[in-house]
Order: sequence, then structure tokens, then C-alpha cells
Amino acid sequence: MENNQVDLSEFGLSDEELFAHVDHSAFESEKITAPRYSYWRSVFRVFFKKKINIVMIGILVLLLLLTYVYPLFINYDRFANILDPNAKHLTAAKALDYFGFSIHYILGSGSAGEPIFDAMWTGARISVSLAFLVALINMTVGILAGAVWGFSKKVDVVMTEVFNIVGNVPYELLIAVLVLIFKPGFWTMVFALTITGWLAVAYFIRTQVIIIRDREYNMASRCLGTPIWRIATKNILPFMTSVIVTYAALEIPAYIGMEVFLSYIGMGISEMSLGKMISEAQSAMITPGWEFEFWSPVAISAVISIVLFVFGQNLGDAADPRTHM
Amino acid sequence: MTKYLLKRILHGIFSVVVIVAIVMVMIYSLMDKKLIFAHDSNWTKQLNNNKTVYEYRKWKDFGYLDYVAYGDWISELIKKGELAAEDRTKVAQLGRTPDKDSETVREYVQRFKEYYESQGYTVKRLDAVMQGGTKIAVGGNQTLFAYKDIPLYVRVWNYFTNIIKVDNIHRAEEVQGERGITFTWFDPAYGGKVFSPAVMGNGTYHKYLLYCDSQFPFIHQNLVSISLGKSYSVKQNAEITDTMTRTQGSWVGSEVHYPSGFVEVSGDDLHTATYQAGSLNTSALLAERYTDDYTNVDTVKNGMSRMGYSFTIGIISVILTYLLGVPIAIWMAQKKDKLVDQIGSVYVVFITAMPSLAYIFIVKAIGNATGIPTTFDMNNPTWLMYLLPIISLSLRPIAGMMRWLRRYMVDQQNADYVKFARSTGISEGQIFRKHILKNAAIPIIHGIPGAILFSLVGALITERVYVVPGVGGLMIEAINFYDNGVIVGVTLFYAALSIVSLIIGDILMSVVDPRINFTSKAR
Repeated sequence: MENNQVDLSEFGLSDEELFAHVDHSAFESEKITAPRYSYWRSVFRVFFKKKINIVMIGILVLLLLLTYVYPLFINYDRFANILDPNAKHLTAAKALDYFGFSIHYILGSGSAGEPIFDAMWTGARISVSLAFLVALINMTVGILAGAVWGFSKKVDVVMTEVFNIVGNVPYELLIAVLVLIFKPGFWTMVFALTITGWLAVAYFIRTQVIIIRDREYNMASRCLGTPIWRIATKNILPFMTSVIVTYAALEIPAYIGMEVFLSYIGMGISEMSLGKMISEAQSAMITPGWEFEFWSPVAISAVISIVLFVFGQNLGDAADPRTHM
Repeated sequence: MTKYLLKRILHGIFSVVVIVAIVMVMIYSLMDKKLIFAHDSNWTKQLNNNKTVYEYRKWKDFGYLDYVAYGDWISELIKKGELAAEDRTKVAQLGRTPDKDSETVREYVQRFKEYYESQGYTVKRLDAVMQGGTKIAVGGNQTLFAYKDIPLYVRVWNYFTNIIKVDNIHRAEEVQGERGITFTWFDPAYGGKVFSPAVMGNGTYHKYLLYCDSQFPFIHQNLVSISLGKSYSVKQNAEITDTMTRTQGSWVGSEVHYPSGFVEVSGDDLHTATYQAGSLNTSALLAERYTDDYTNVDTVKNGMSRMGYSFTIGIISVILTYLLGVPIAIWMAQKKDKLVDQIGSVYVVFITAMPSLAYIFIVKAIGNATGIPTTFDMNNPTWLMYLLPIISLSLRPIAGMMRWLRRYMVDQQNADYVKFARSTGISEGQIFRKHILKNAAIPIIHGIPGAILFSLVGALITERVYVVPGVGGLMIEAINFYDNGVIVGVTLFYAALSIVSLIIGDILMSVVDPRINFTSKAR
């Protein structure tokens, strides 16, 4: 037993250095000891701590400028060069030679002699707008409906049944029917993708709400008589912010991909979107010298999707309060 | 458990009925009826009144409405004995316009009208279309018919009661010889000398009800058939189940012993013979080979069926997903935040975010560059042509597996039971394999039945890009051609698969994890 005792004199320290007496301070005890915490400030602090996120924001801003601002300054007309037989299917080098150096032709020209670079961004504007709009509508309706769905047991029984049924009606058929009733176009597609699309979001949110709903702190809240609305907005919604942001990050690329897919199978919108460019330029993929017509829209749709995805994932991570330590 | 299962199955059947009803409303009520003729060359050839009659007749065939022609009604009367057969021409001869009808005709037309209008039909009479003064234009003959829209519930009822058909000896209208079922140990299709038991019917729709051959599963039956609906525009009158399961490619010859004793090298598969009324005497070719009206046969072909190709590609890609995805996910979880994990995460991000069309084309371009066949050729099959479709199909599921299994495993790493296991001193490898994986795999196991069953339906983009003659594009093809029978049938097939795979997934999960119990009441 004696061996276990530590002889303090071995360290060569005086009693003053080992212990110091702290007096009671009336001033200090008035202070609340927890550090100041602001949710959104912490989110941005965590978000910007990763260098890759700053790069991502840079690329994202550049992409959005090219998609939304660049088309405003060019006067893009797909069929402007249609009568010029020498302007069609030119590679980048030949196009720059033929038209003189300009940014429009740095990727060559397409099947109607149109500049691929301009066509790409005009198409991207439609595809990205569609994806943003559809995701926005689906997320808004889905979150609101999902919250109600998760909270009420009666609604749950009915909505689960509706979800099982509507989820199995092929959406290609729905789009085909709606396109026949209305005229095919941007707004019809937005309508077709949102009329049932919100259900999937709502189901996801419902599951999240059910997981959090019966946690102890919420039960305590309910026992103390907090109204449901307050529990929903103050206890549950902050918990779900990160989940929602992560989900939204998945949604937007998913709808860009969906638009490309639908155009490929011939059910896309009538406007010249990225998907339509890809499906029209399919044969150019294996034709020597025409590759840019095909790969440019493919590459740009991939880049936009990946940047949006990574940005959203990291924002979602940063929005999780558990990472704020 | 049985009670719970029964409830789930009944629930599933209800959902399927509602889904089919919704789809029926969409295509039979919301879409324009005339769209189904868009790709029908016969329709474009028809003129004037004949066109209208042709439309109504086809609408009846494909379940849009009920249609009765005046002539059919008269035949019915003759059959019942209410009208003498020799009076037929006198009664059936309509005038060019109603006021030109003879006295008898007018009387019968009135009866036709009263009879069908009392049953809710609409009676329609088309006057002759004249060309010049006296000549009737081509296809412009006067006609009289009654039609009635079929209400939704009748349509749904008819559809579901006709799905399962059991063959019986009263299905054929007229047969030579006695109706009945015969059993033989020596199948005449092989010359009657080889031992091969078969059950054959006379009066049934299929000639062979049960037979054996060298193809897996060696014993085949035609007694019970599933009919999901008929195609109109993609493939006239073909059953959907046949379209999915019939072999494709060019025919393979073998020595065939026809019922008449005629022997020839041919691709005909006598086991698929079905009844076709009065077909024996339509051509000398058939009369030489057959002795009865069971002349409608399929040919043996060298390729697989549409579903066969889709399933081959699908199932290999599912196996690949689990074989590659699971170990990689475990590896990533073990080396969390190390190089392996980071490389894996980059892959997951790329594949999940990129439009699937984009990476499939990239795979195809790589295949092009390395000389792997990028298109499917049924006549010169090589194993190499399956390679690119399988790779394209596996990329995303592998990424999904890596993403989710890694997530679940990382979440489990801080659980109390893991800390306890670690404190007992067993190795990290064992903790991962025996403790964490077992718990993390439960949600993954739930998806296995779905993954296997859904490889039956094929993959649209992959099949289109690599020209695989699979089943994936069936739905889109049907929608583009307004082929309503196929749309309904395929929807039913998909819905049934998704419901069955959910139920099996739940059962599997409760078998693997005894903590999950569906029978006890939720708290």
C-alpha cells in the first residue's frame, strides 16, 4: 500500500504551486457560463472551415453566372447558320478558324452550325431551372405534408395507403397523359414532376419526424404542456435542418438526371434542354470529329450535378448541430 | 405471423386493384380513344363508314366499349331459333337511308333499337355515302350498330377475373373427334418412340397441357396461363406474358414429327400448338402436316426471351453489387477518414450525382476504345457482350451499397455493445465482422428480395444504350405507341413485384433479427 502513495516532494514543487485558493467572486457568479451560441453562425463557421467548400462556392457561382447571366448577353439563335453548309459539325479548331476567334465557338459547332458553347448554357438554363423549381415545390409541399403526416396517426394510416398506391403508378405514364392533356412544355413538365413527386419527400420527412417525435425531450415537452405547433417548430425542425439540406442536395441533381433521362426516352420538354441536346447528339458520340457535340452537354450536366451535390452535402453536414463542437 | 402475413397480402391485393383502376382511368378515360390507331396501317386504309365500324370493332376488342352490329344480332336471333335462316337476307338488307327500308327490315330495326336502348346502349345508324348519283363510295355502305361504354368497375372486374385462365375441354368451338384429355408415355412430337410422358387435350385451347423436353425446368405445363392483357399497336394481339417470355432470335431447326406423320427439319415447336378455328383447311401446307385445327405453333429460337436477357444481366449485376459493395463498404468503415475512405467517397459522389445516362455513355466510350463489344448480337452470342451492360448496371447500386452500409457501420461503431466487445479483448477484425456488420446489415437485407425481383423488369437506359433485346423498354414503348393493354399489364406486373418484394423483405428482416417482430402491437 505504501508504494502507491506519491511523494510530492519528488516533483520539487512548493505547496503554492500545487494548490491556489480561489475566493468567491460575486461578479463572476452573475455571468452565465455557457459560451454564446448562434446556430446559423456556427453553421457557416463549420462550413467555411473546410477549404474545399470555398472552392465549391466559387465553381457554383461561376456555373450559375454562365447558366443565368451569360445567355442574357448573347443573341443565341440555333438556326442562324442553318443555310451555311460549311458551318456544320466543325471541331473547335476549325470553327475558330472559320468564324474567327470568339468564345462562342471554343467547343466547335453543332448539327445546324450553332455554337455548342452557347447552346450548352442556354440548355443548362432550362434544365437547372426545371430542377430547382421542381425541387423547391416538392420540398416545400413535402416538408409541410410530411410534418402533418408524421404527427397525426389518423393521417398516417390514410397517407401510407395513398403513398403505396400512387408510388406504384408509373410516372412515365403520368407524364405522357399530362402531356397529351396540356401541351408539352416546361410548365407541363414542372406540373407532372410535382403532382406526385412531393409524396416521396413527405414520406421521407414523415419517417424522420416519427423517429424524433417520441424522443424523451419531446415527451418531457409534451408533459409540460407545450403546444404541438411549438414542439414542431422549436424542438423538431432545428433537428431536421441538416437532414432536409442533405435531401435537397440529392433532389436537384436527381431532377437534372431525370430531365436528361426523360428527353432520352422521348418524353422530355419541347425546349432545347441539356437532355434534349444529349439525346439529339447521340449519334455524334461515335462520329470522329463530332464528339464535342455529345460530350459537352454530358460533361456540363455532370459538373453542375456534382458541384450542387457536394455543396449541399457539406452544407448539410455543417447544419448538423453535432458538428458544431 | 400467419395472420399478419395474410393481412399484408390482402392489403397488397387491394393496393394492386386500386393502382390498376387508376391507370385504367388514366388511359381509357383521360386519353383520346383514337390515339390507339396512330400506328395502325389497317386503319389508314379504311374509308368512310368502314373506318367508323373498324374503330368501334377495335375498341370492342381492346375493351373500350361494348359493340353489337345489326348483322351479329340477327345471327344471334337465328341461333336462338327466333328467325328462320332463309329469312336472313330479307331482314339484314338495310336501305341506304332509313326511309328506304323495306317493311320487315323496318320492323326488325325497330326491335334492335328498342332492345339495346333499354339496356343502356346507344344505337347509331350511318347512311350510305354516295359517290355521284347512284354509286356507293368505297367503304361507304350503310350500317347499323349499338355501343355502350364499359363502366370502370366492370372493366376492373373483367380484367382481374381474366388474369388466370385454366384450360378446359370446352374452349375450342368445334373439334374433330371427342372432347377429352389423353395421357401418353410416348410423346408423338418426338416420333412416338422416345419415352416422354405428355398430357394432351382435345377441345382445349392448348394441345399439350403437360409435356417434357430438354429445356429447364424439363416439365412444362400449359394448363394454367397468366394473361396480363393484349397488345394492340406494338405487336398485334400478342399476350404480354408471351412478349416477355418468348424466345427471340433466328429459328433453330430440329427433326419434327408432325401429327400427320410428316417428318421435316423445322423450327416449329409442336408443344406450343394452340387452337385456331378452321385453320387446317386454309392452306395445303398445314393440311399436309396437321390432322386437326391445332396448327398455331411457335418456333424454337436460338436467343433468350426478353425477360431472360434482362434477368441474366440484372441478376449478375445484383450479385456483383453485394460481392463488391459489401467488402468495400466494410473496408471504408474500418479505415474511416483514411485514403481508402476518401477515394471511395469520391466515387460515391460522382456516381450518385451524375445523370446515369452520362456515366453509362462514359462506360460505353471506354468499351469502344478497348474493343469490347458495345452492342448485343443475339446470333453470335459471346460472354463479352454482357460485360458492359453488367458494369453499367452495377455502378450505381455499388455506390449506394458503399454509401449506406458504411454509414450504418460508422454509426454502430460508438454503440455500447461495440465498446463492451472491445473491452473483452477480441480483435478489431472480429468486432467488425461478427458484431458491427451483423447489426448494420439488417437494413441492407431488407432490400435483397427487391433487388432480385426487380432484375426481372430490366433496365431501360442500359438496355437501350447497348441494344439489349430486354424487357426494360416495354413500358415506354407501350406509352409511345398508346398500347393500353400493355400499359395496364406491365403496371400490374411492376406493382405486384414491388409489393411482394416489400413483404418478403420484411419477413427476411424479422428472420435475421429476432428483435424485429411484426405481430406485437406497436407501443
